[in-house]
Amino acid sequence: MNGAPTVLELKNISKNFLALQALQNVDFDLREGESHALVGENGAGKSTLMRILAGIYSDYEGEYILDGQPVRFQSPAEALHRGIGMIHQELSVIPELSVAENLFLGRQPYTRWGTVDWKKMNETAKEELRGLGFDLDVTRPLGQFSLGTQQVVEVLSVILSGARVLIMDEPTSALSPGEVERLIQLIDDLRKQKRSIIYISHFLEEVMRVADRITVLRDGRKVATLDRANTTKDQVISLILGREINAVLPEAVSKTHERTLLEVKDLNADVFQDINLKVDAGEIVGVYGAIGAGHFDLARAIFGMYRVDSGQITVDGEPFPLNHTASHAIARGVAYATESRRKSLLMDEPIYRNVTLPHLARMGLIPRASRELEMARPAVASVNVQPPDPRSPVGRLSGGNQQKVAIARWITVPPKVLIVSEPTRGMDVGAKSEVLSILLNLRNQDYAVLVVSSEPETVLAVADRVVVMSRGRIVAHLQNDATLDKDVLMRLL
Amino acid sequence: MTAQTETPKAKRGLKSAGGIADRLPASWVGRLRVLAPLWTLIALILFFSLASETFLRPINLNNILAQVSTLAILGTGMTFVLLTGEIDLSIASVVTLTGVLAAHLFANLNWPEPAPTLAAIGVATLLGIVSGVASTRFRIPSFMSTLAVSLIASGLGIFISKGRIIFEISELSSFLGSGRIGGPNGIRVLVIVAAVCLFTAHLVLRYTRYGRYVYMTGANKSAARLAGVNTGLITASALAICGFTAGLAGIVNMGRLGSAQPQVINSLLIDTIGAVVLGGTALTGGRGGIPQTVVGLLIYGTLRNGLDNIPSIDSFLKEFITGVVLLVALLVNVVFSGKAPRDRT
Repeated sequence: MNGAPTVLELKNISKNFLALQALQNVDFDLREGESHALVGENGAGKSTLMRILAGIYSDYEGEYILDGQPVRFQSPAEALHRGIGMIHQELSVIPELSVAENLFLGRQPYTRWGTVDWKKMNETAKEELRGLGFDLDVTRPLGQFSLGTQQVVEVLSVILSGARVLIMDEPTSALSPGEVERLIQLIDDLRKQKRSIIYISHFLEEVMRVADRITVLRDGRKVATLDRANTTKDQVISLILGREINAVLPEAVSKTHERTLLEVKDLNADVFQDINLKVDAGEIVGVYGAIGAGHFDLARAIFGMYRVDSGQITVDGEPFPLNHTASHAIARGVAYATESRRKSLLMDEPIYRNVTLPHLARMGLIPRASRELEMARPAVASVNVQPPDPRSPVGRLSGGNQQKVAIARWITVPPKVLIVSEPTRGMDVGAKSEVLSILLNLRNQDYAVLVVSSEPETVLAVADRVVVMSRGRIVAHLQNDATLDKDVLMRLL
Repeated sequence: MTAQTETPKAKRGLKSAGGIADRLPASWVGRLRVLAPLWTLIALILFFSLASETFLRPINLNNILAQVSTLAILGTGMTFVLLTGEIDLSIASVVTLTGVLAAHLFANLNWPEPAPTLAAIGVATLLGIVSGVASTRFRIPSFMSTLAVSLIASGLGIFISKGRIIFEISELSSFLGSGRIGGPNGIRVLVIVAAVCLFTAHLVLRYTRYGRYVYMTGANKSAARLAGVNTGLITASALAICGFTAGLAGIVNMGRLGSAQPQVINSLLIDTIGAVVLGGTALTGGRGGIPQTVVGLLIYGTLRNGLDNIPSIDSFLKEFITGVVLLVALLVNVVFSGKAPRDRT
């Protein structure tokens, strides 16, 4: 493999986003027929690097050399034209179109009359797929096939448009174990065809199976490029984290429950299965999982906004009906702050109106502004929103302060159970620690808090116990004591 | 550093808090900017009062109010619907059906008033509920469900009337449509009906919980749902309200014309949506309100009436001029509200 020629090379790449240095003097190279994994924590610079490679970002410092010539792509289309294709985490197939149409999107073969040559298109599509070990009816809409198959079709479509280099961003995050196997097989086949793959994943288990070389990024810098053959998973983890890892897994939880406020029993839905968990009063439970693990939808399901198939949710001893409504949950003391502030806040409305929004039902038919302000003021003050004027529009606040408003909303009328999804996403260090201390405060006031996150730091910083989810299942219940560490969580994924 | 620069502003905010300022909008400048169409209205009134001697006479101003009254009743319901981010295309047909149905019940079946009027408005409301249930329970876009209801309503109207005009209408409806209070030069009843509609709707939208839910549903449906609001119920009820006002407009319009006409006056639909949107209520929902609708209605009325009051204008050009002025007014809206640069980011 070492003798293979180099396809592309990045030299001394740096990229800034305003004040944030996303990449600093990063080197990277990719050989023909190689699968090169890119790993690192969230925010380490993986996505930025990959976007530069795919031509999404064109303003960066450093050199991008393709086939020995310096290039600077202005668009993804230009990159694809030169043979560099990207498979996004969110699939970009069109589910309503047939498999064949998706494969030949924008490149349909034509008859001499200028109409689409359906026969040729379907035959070629069938052949190409069979070459990869897939025998499907290519005339059926792609949406009828599994996500794994859709992904294969997207990969193939990018290859058919001439890509020699495939950038795959978290390709397995939504796949079932069987589909992951097939994808790994597909990557092997592609390598045999002398195509090169850049593989980005949180799942180190897969990375260790798929990659020939592994490049580790940390804080925007390249830490190392390793040959997989001479590397262990623990080595990779310690490079990702920048320190030695703890060798032992901590003991599983055995806590005596005092007053259980939230109990979830055998909850099943399309994206998660057999979920069992309990949260006591005065306890923070963290649910950690990689993106696509189903933990965000679990949070929604507990609140009543995600359809479940079976199971039982009990709040403070009161069993909820299957698929209860959000207002049922709110009335019984369940509060939920989503991971998307944009989805939960009215940006044009003042802070106080955003805070009182779920509690209008308690204010009679005609909510008076003065009463609303009165109601909102203590909550807004307790989370320290800046600026503190409850009448300024939420849209003008910083992300961290918007998040505080989203939390303040739920402590206006004290809930029993507070569910917070990704409470610190996209925040600077100061805002992060403020939000986390708000959560700790709430715990001390005997709320039951469920923190759902894909950021291990967030979970570890506040949770008393950690539940780890992977591919829709809970894989571990852990006590968050001194021995629990990021590397433990990452190894469990 | 940011904290330091924020402090003086914050202090000012705290000082004014708790007093009268709490009930006032955050900034009057912003409020005026939202009412950008007001400038268009003022410009139009100035222009017509200079260009025409008859325009500013009280009789003519009364005429303007009477001319926009039907639109105003329709616009009240339409404002609810547009605020939730939906649309109702059935109102013109419902107006026709209500008139024909009320006249038929009164003239041919000899129902005593107010039964025919109430029954007709009830049917109109029911049609609104049908559109509402179709678009919320069954996820049919309101554009389509109300289009279908529009055909149902106009079809029923034709079936009931057999295509003939019904000349015998009840006293109640002619009182509502063409009666006056306070002598022959008094105020017209239909203006009062329109004013009551607009005023009630304004109170509901601005001060009640329901009104807040209407805005919330249109501005950010997921936020409303996350706050436990049954957005489907809110949307359906807005369509029901729109059906009700279309029914009321149907009775009033029949009274104004003195007969029940089986043809659908399609311009009612376009003019209503036009006036509401011109006033500044967004088609995408969540933004606007009754004050905006009032301004939009007055622009419409002023323009139509003003052109009639300038004899030198070729009457075949009026439609064209109306279109040009509407386009300019919409451009003025965009410039004043500063939406154009914001959309680009």
